[in-house]
Amino acid sequence: MSRVRVTAPHAFPRSPAQGGRRSLESREAAQDSEVGQVFVRSLIRSQLRLALVVAGGFLLILAAFPLILVVVPGLAETRIGGLPFGWLLLGVGIYPVIGLSAWLYVRTAARNEARYRDLAGEP
Amino acid sequence: MNAGVAMAAVAVVSLATAIIGFYGLRISRTTGDFYVASRTVRPWWNASAIGGEYLSAASFLGVAGLILLSGTDALWFPVGYTAGYLMLLLFVAAPLRRSGAYTIPDFTESRLSSRTVRRVTSLVVVVVGWLYIVPQLHGAALTIHIATGLPSWVGSVAVVVVVCLTVVAGGMRSITFVQAFQYWLKLTALAVPILFIIFVLAGHGAQPQSAPAVNPTDLAPAGLYQNVSLLVALLFGTLGLPHVLVRFYTNPDGHSARRTTLIVLGLLSVFYLFPTAYGLVARMYAPGLARSGQPDAMVLRLPGELVGGMPGDLLSALVVAGAFAAFLSTTSGLVVSLAGVISQDVLGGSVRGFRLAAVVSAVVPLGFAFMTGSLALAGSVGLVFAFTASTVCPVLLLGIWWRGLTDAGAIAGMLTGGVLCGGAMIAGSVTGSVQTPAWLAQPAAWSVPAAFAVMVIVSRATSHRVPATMPRIMTRLHTPERPLATERGPGGQ
Repeated sequence: MSRVRVTAPHAFPRSPAQGGRRSLESREAAQDSEVGQVFVRSLIRSQLRLALVVAGGFLLILAAFPLILVVVPGLAETRIGGLPFGWLLLGVGIYPVIGLSAWLYVRTAARNEARYRDLAGEP
Repeated sequence: MNAGVAMAAVAVVSLATAIIGFYGLRISRTTGDFYVASRTVRPWWNASAIGGEYLSAASFLGVAGLILLSGTDALWFPVGYTAGYLMLLLFVAAPLRRSGAYTIPDFTESRLSSRTVRRVTSLVVVVVGWLYIVPQLHGAALTIHIATGLPSWVGSVAVVVVVCLTVVAGGMRSITFVQAFQYWLKLTALAVPILFIIFVLAGHGAQPQSAPAVNPTDLAPAGLYQNVSLLVALLFGTLGLPHVLVRFYTNPDGHSARRTTLIVLGLLSVFYLFPTAYGLVARMYAPGLARSGQPDAMVLRLPGELVGGMPGDLLSALVVAGAFAAFLSTTSGLVVSLAGVISQDVLGGSVRGFRLAAVVSAVVPLGFAFMTGSLALAGSVGLVFAFTASTVCPVLLLGIWWRGLTDAGAIAGMLTGGVLCGGAMIAGSVTGSVQTPAWLAQPAAWSVPAAFAVMVIVSRATSHRVPATMPRIMTRLHTPERPLATERGPGGQ
């Protein structure tokens, strides 16, 4: 069994295996132009805006859950299927909200990237 | 609890871990396998592995114990652990994958073009890793002592030995298989006993001894500040955990990194239903377990308490096996990522260096674990999250999203966060858990904003130090990878 010496790159590692060095450099050359940088900046802005909106929306819902329990007296102790509503809301109900936020984000982020590809003229 | 059955369970899990590790050894022979499994791991495998690695002693034992103690207040722990992954997905997953860096120090060095930043980041990452391994070893000590009656140290030493053997033998590739296996083992080991218990309780028509809202001890409930501060720590701490981040490099591209995270969120959501169920059942049917002084042991004791006899022994053994899988998987994930950092920075990045570094990364926290007493597991892991959120998180978030970050700002911010949060942790452990004021016990709410603020202010003051490579690197972080086989000539627009 032959052993291979693994050397981790100290400098910034080059591209992920596929595509190779040449394609990465040509991609970056294209994006270095002034027009290319405008597109890149607008992509970063829209991705950041998207992330902040999803995070903000999620945190609002997260804060609303315990607030509902405090504001509506007796709601936390109301039994649904034998279990107190407060437990169901915080112990079970929050996870679908997390999943839905994540799914919306992944879909929209991919769409932003597709639009960038169109603008930047990449295939 | 039947000691023989429990010991057999621990032995089987350790053996299975080792065997899968050695099986992985046969196929991990190409360059790069040792660090990041060649980035060819499928999303489902990878997601299971991330879940397996992330669900530590705190999730497996600690969360249920805290829920038993403080009821719905403690539900913020599982919610925060899961929502932390949402934040990771939103702000970090795809850009970090596209950076192409192997470790967090690789990322900061390349983003800020500075060797000094690299050294500071490495130091922080190693501290985080060691702090995080210690509670795993405490959990193992507790589990072994309760399950088999052997002295506590046997548990910690067993975990370190198995982890060293697996990591030294196979590197990341075999670890991926081990971790994926361990997620499903942990889920089964929690789900089967609690479902069986609920079935038995329902079958006997057992009457609850206590209402879910009644706290079994006179422990003071957590205030609003503590809950908010805890959530800040968990939400922003997850995206800086070294063993979690290294997993993202095993995705083929940025989009699949996002898809993997989406699957992970599903896996975590399913998993955390079960510690919640344990906590609720224990509050209603066995509140006496809270008064033993070891709430972390509740999950281990509940099957024996409520089922008893041979079925109780077997279910307990299953829980013990799952708990051991939790200690092994989190510790090995941390050891792999720490060994990656230490071997690159100190030992020159050879396979031999990686192995040596792996042993060092596992043995040092063993010393810490012997020197310190076990606190509540979920609480001590929560503090590690606070530390990560105050150090690694700001440098990652600002590095990915803000063009103005400089090396001086990054270093000043990380040191500020580390000193503030670390100081609070030390002060808290000196004064003891009862007397510590809330702001000191949960420092994240002020130490995280302080770290961000210092990082931004110092970067602004040293804006001439923004590296010339910045626009190119920002482009790489955020633009989608080109689809396969679409080579084009240079300069094409």
